[in-house]
Amino acid sequence: MTTNTIPAPVTLSAKHLLGIEGMSVMTMHQLLDRASYFADHMTQDVEQTLKGSTIVNLFFENSTRTRVSFEVAAKKLGASVLNISVAGSSVKKGETLIDTATTLNAMHPDILVVRHHAAGTPYLLSQHVDAAIINAGDGRREHPTQALLDALTIKRKFGHIEGLRIAICGDIANSRVARSNLYLLGGLGAEIRFVSPSTLLPPSIGDLGVGVYHDMREGIKDCDIVMMLRLQTERMEGRETPSQHEYFNLFGLDSEKLQDAAPNAMIMHPGPMNRGVEIDSLIADDHERSLIQKQVEMGVATRMACLEALYHSMALVK
Amino acid sequence: MSLLLKNAHIICPVQKIDDAGFLVIKDGHIAAVGTGAYSNEQSCDEVIDLKGACVSPGLVDMRVQSADPGAEHLETVDSLLAAAAASGVTSLISLPDTNPVIDNAAMIDSLLLRSSRSGGPRLHLYGALTKGQNGKEMAELGMMAEAGAVGFASGAHSIQDSLMMRRILTYATMFDKVVIHHCEDYQLSDKGEMNEGETATRLGLIGIPDAAESIIVKRDIELVRLTKARYHVAHISTAAALDEVRRAKAEGLPVTCDTAPAYALLNELAVNGFNTAFRLNPPLRSEGDRLAILRGLADGTIDALASDHLPVSQDDKAQPFGFAACGASGIETLFPMLLSLVENETLSLSRAIELASTAPARITGISGGSLETGLPADIICFQPRAAHRIETQNFLSRSRISPFQHHPAFGKLLYNFVGGDLVWRHDG
Repeated sequence: MTTNTIPAPVTLSAKHLLGIEGMSVMTMHQLLDRASYFADHMTQDVEQTLKGSTIVNLFFENSTRTRVSFEVAAKKLGASVLNISVAGSSVKKGETLIDTATTLNAMHPDILVVRHHAAGTPYLLSQHVDAAIINAGDGRREHPTQALLDALTIKRKFGHIEGLRIAICGDIANSRVARSNLYLLGGLGAEIRFVSPSTLLPPSIGDLGVGVYHDMREGIKDCDIVMMLRLQTERMEGRETPSQHEYFNLFGLDSEKLQDAAPNAMIMHPGPMNRGVEIDSLIADDHERSLIQKQVEMGVATRMACLEALYHSMALVK
Repeated sequence: MSLLLKNAHIICPVQKIDDAGFLVIKDGHIAAVGTGAYSNEQSCDEVIDLKGACVSPGLVDMRVQSADPGAEHLETVDSLLAAAAASGVTSLISLPDTNPVIDNAAMIDSLLLRSSRSGGPRLHLYGALTKGQNGKEMAELGMMAEAGAVGFASGAHSIQDSLMMRRILTYATMFDKVVIHHCEDYQLSDKGEMNEGETATRLGLIGIPDAAESIIVKRDIELVRLTKARYHVAHISTAAALDEVRRAKAEGLPVTCDTAPAYALLNELAVNGFNTAFRLNPPLRSEGDRLAILRGLADGTIDALASDHLPVSQDDKAQPFGFAACGASGIETLFPMLLSLVENETLSLSRAIELASTAPARITGISGGSLETGLPADIICFQPRAAHRIETQNFLSRSRISPFQHHPAFGKLLYNFVGGDLVWRHDG
């Protein structure tokens, strides 16, 4: 899909990108259009809209794909990128967080890309630094760029998001991807269903305007997209499901359960996958049905659009 | 030496006075109190014309945590008493969660001695229920009672072992002291960061269900039925727990409870934005719970309102929400928030004084809470309707984190007398 007119860099109303919740539908569309433009020009040179900027990847939680994706995105637009990995500092917990932030602030970065295992950390940091902050995942709360790349993947496959029926399956309670996707894909007009064992659903989730299902086949029935979530074993307490064996039997996606979805239903997964736990390898690797590789590819384009939007918006304020 | 407070609005829940009148302090005690004008004004050495301001028993704050000994940078006995004096408190009872824990008679002796040197409001102490608040071995309740402990409290801890709790309640009956319990099922509240519900789900924070409180309240009430001990639920925060207390009271069991202003005036929505001043234990609850707390305050199911003062450092609050310490400074917001509840017509003035003065004194068996003649003159004079805002930089407490920062508030304290001595007066 190529666009005739080049979409302009997006102007944001907020200084930071802390989550999808509260984002206007117009901004969602603009970011997706701009990201789609970048996706079309992945192998070509694009305008260096981040030239002269300093972007710091500040990751308090292990991550390879997200960090690399942000780094590639920033570099493609001409930014200098600094990677700071503070993972494993859980002993000191947030103790050094403010100190780290103020130290970094003294180096005048333009954008901080922050991942932290505690919900709300990007809010806290935004009060202590001058840089714009992108939330690259905060605990169970939000992961806005993941939702945007998922939406971009869907939009480029189906041509639209409105009216699609999307099942998000698995460990909803511990998933920031589920929350961000609910706000984004729901906001763009898709019907969102959460399919999950009752112990892996956060309380009052139904109040957020989502259909809740405990039966996998019923939940994914006639769905255009089945998005599987990783079982977040590191955030679980070992009491949510009896075993991975039972989990795969009831909630793992295999070709048999997939028969109930819409005929051309596509499979998504934010990665990394637990093969044989939430998803059968045969399906994950089925290029006819799986968008999983596409999602990774769209990650770079999406993050280009987001980084650019923050830098562009800051420049307007200055 | 005698002092007449005239043209006063006298409020005494014990004598059921809520009317224009006067009060005479002589030799540290209340010599006369009544409605109308005092007939013997010329016999008084000093006269203060209050021009209609209120006179009531001083506040008795039954839930205060001092940080002294152990963390004097957060609070000392002196800073706590100064903050109390400026906030209309004439007696306060400090919880045992100091470092070391107040779990033996020597600790009680030493703190009572030190506070007697400070002067100002009266400091009383609770002894811990278990040694070092470990929840496993009973502390020396008898010797602490002899040393002057006015009751026994678990501080911020909760006894999980039902047999331990039964033994404590049974043992405490020998000394006729109240057992005050923070009710929290640690399994249900494990890793919990805020109240369970839609807000927690949206914020990605782990919820603490109301059952974490009500299960322990319910268990304890069953144990009170067995032991007939005097039992008090601290800082009750949920409608479910309140229902348990209401039923126990109807049955005639010796059960009482208190809550703190935060649970009457704030709800879980305050956590939006991750401001850690709103991280409390128990957590701020739902609006339905808050409304139940207001009903409980008005209908008497809740006996007392206490500050739940808990010194917490700025460093421990400047953290991601889930890592931040629970608690907030409260002693300087108790009175203004109490008067906010009067201003918004939840409580009458008389009921407000009963909640924050008369009832806490009655539950713990200490003096105060009444204007009856012959009692020590622990008295405050105040204008109840003066509007202002809470500004933590004005706190005398060393702990300046408050969920009520910038919150509208009411009341202006004019004078605070403890035993007839003026411990605080408003400038100008």
